[in-house]
Amino acid sequence: MYTYICENSIDGILTGVYCAYADRHPRRDIHLTIQQPDNMSLFTQYIPVETDTVKAARVAHTLKTRFGQDFYETIYQAAMSGDVPGKSTMDKADAIYETIALALFSGNGTKTLLSLGEPCVYRVFELCRATGREAMHLLGFIRFQELENGILFSEIHPNHHVLPMLGEHFSDRLPEENFMIYDANRDLALLHPAGEHFFLADADTLNLSATRQFSANEKQFQDLWVTFFHSITIDARKNPDLQSQMIPKRFQRDTVEFQAS
Amino acid sequence: MELCIQSDLMEKLAILTDAAKYDVACTSSGVDRRGKGHGMGNSVAAGICHSFSGDGRCISLLKILMTNHCIYNCTYCQNNCNNDLPRATFTPEEICTLVTQFYRRNYIEGLFLSSGIIESPNHTMELLYQTLYLLRTTYDFNGYIHVKAIPGADPRLIELIGYLADRMSINLELPTSAGLRALAPCKSRKTILGPMRQIQTGIHQSKELPTHELVPRNAALPQVVRLSNGDPHKKRFVPAGQSTQMIIGATPENDYQIIKVAESLYDRFELKRVFYSAFVNVTGSSDLPTLPGGPPLLREHRLYQADWLLRFYHFQADELLDETRPNFNVWLDPKCDWALRHLEQFPVEISSASYQTLLRVPGIGYLSARRIVAARQSSRLDFSDLKKIGVVLKRAIYFITCNGRTMYPIRMEEDYITRQLLADRTQIPKEITDAGYEQLSLFDTGLLAKDAIPSVAF
Repeated sequence: MYTYICENSIDGILTGVYCAYADRHPRRDIHLTIQQPDNMSLFTQYIPVETDTVKAARVAHTLKTRFGQDFYETIYQAAMSGDVPGKSTMDKADAIYETIALALFSGNGTKTLLSLGEPCVYRVFELCRATGREAMHLLGFIRFQELENGILFSEIHPNHHVLPMLGEHFSDRLPEENFMIYDANRDLALLHPAGEHFFLADADTLNLSATRQFSANEKQFQDLWVTFFHSITIDARKNPDLQSQMIPKRFQRDTVEFQAS
Repeated sequence: MELCIQSDLMEKLAILTDAAKYDVACTSSGVDRRGKGHGMGNSVAAGICHSFSGDGRCISLLKILMTNHCIYNCTYCQNNCNNDLPRATFTPEEICTLVTQFYRRNYIEGLFLSSGIIESPNHTMELLYQTLYLLRTTYDFNGYIHVKAIPGADPRLIELIGYLADRMSINLELPTSAGLRALAPCKSRKTILGPMRQIQTGIHQSKELPTHELVPRNAALPQVVRLSNGDPHKKRFVPAGQSTQMIIGATPENDYQIIKVAESLYDRFELKRVFYSAFVNVTGSSDLPTLPGGPPLLREHRLYQADWLLRFYHFQADELLDETRPNFNVWLDPKCDWALRHLEQFPVEISSASYQTLLRVPGIGYLSARRIVAARQSSRLDFSDLKKIGVVLKRAIYFITCNGRTMYPIRMEEDYITRQLLADRTQIPKEITDAGYEQLSLFDTGLLAKDAIPSVAF
């Protein structure tokens, strides 16, 4: 048995896939993982994978040209997931590797993704859906606050690595704004300078203390929004359970209107 | 000075939000539009919910009235001219500031602008037009706008405003013209359906014409409006389509009449959505029913379920209800109810049934049906696969076979299946369990399923 230990990122996992193929071991003997194993199994060789963007790009290119953009995006979105257990607990990297292997074997990516009976495909489906749902939620639930220097700042605590997906949406929507979305769970920041393309940066290189200094008008617009938020409720229909079901508590903590005071 | 303006704006916002909240439509869906690279705003066809209010309804748009002054006296409406309540009017600039400042903070997806009738329908519509024009040009706002067409306004105004908005709506208010006469004497079917037809025609024409021809011909503008060189007219006319809303439970119409009306609105006026609004007695008028059980939320819920069946599941209104059973079963959703009355068409074989047939199975939604059709080409599906696909097995198992077998032995009898379905307490609506009817259901469901009892709440 051979277990490839990859970095937890799309490039890390795709490099693992590249190496697994390059080494030409029998497929059923190969596993990928993103975790350092707690217990070493007998008769298993552990192979650490050094992330290599060139190798990863070659795998990505193969997937896109042979199976289309949709297939690649499913894999990409699954790789972005926080690997939280759903109905299945299969390792993210392993599920992605096996799904790619199945697709290469059958030659049909679309069909492979529909075979939800395969545990690996179902896991990829589940992870991809979880990431996509969280990104969809955050498109609406993110709140920007205007800082003293005019920058729009937002802090989020997502389960999955959704910043790239958010970046596309908000760059298109607010092209003339300088904005920043800070993923506190990963300590990563998305930065968008007005009129340019967005990029990601490690947050420890940034001065986050400036994000507590709000512009003069900020409080007034927050108050106006909270006023609107409370006035729009129809008292005769009050239903806090439904409210919390629709906007789960973990999103509420980062919004203006759900802060007590 | 600054503070004074703000507190004034705050008060207006509170009043004009409160006055707008009984309009249910808050969807930002129906149009995909990339940003322009300047200004702000784009639009996503699926719509985006930005928050959820205390009643659990989605907040997508800044839903406000231009003014809550009104010359009409519709009995059900809290803004009617005989009602004594604080009144306010926004200026177009105030609305633009709120929209753009809220939008860049990602509070909202756009604007939903309605209004009470001030002076005349035309004057009101002009104010709405000015606001939208300012927002689209000076403020360079490219996000979603839903605007109300005011019944009785000049068709030219409706045409002009249609090029600035994404969606327009004219509320039908009450399902029948008799209801309208009784509760909204200033409105008539004619003033409502006229503009609805005009918008429908406009949408068709704008689809047929290349963009540069979209400047409305003979568009002599009302004097208050100054247009620059036709720039906003490059947009399509009402690209996200039109919608309407009916108040449920203020007048004595039954569910059958209501969904027949909805069906004809979809068929003959090509509406994107019909919304149903459970009646809340806000004016306390003696002409209106009192509803001790609160607004008829369960009835509203059943109507929405039926509405989905009409739009996405190829059902006809006449299949769901008829003159002899004019109201929905309160215990079971309309699809289960229909299936139980048509057991001769079940069970359905998953590996061979057509997409349309699958759509009619309780527990199978259109997404699951689509996935089933795609997945069965490459492999044989069993019940555990169906679960993964998203089929709700606890409802579906009574109506399907996989490779010729049901999941476990099932008697194809209405009483038996009804009992099984209701044995799962989560399927029984909260309104019924709260009203203490629960015990009865366990013994007497067969009878109840056949004769839909009138709801507890209305």
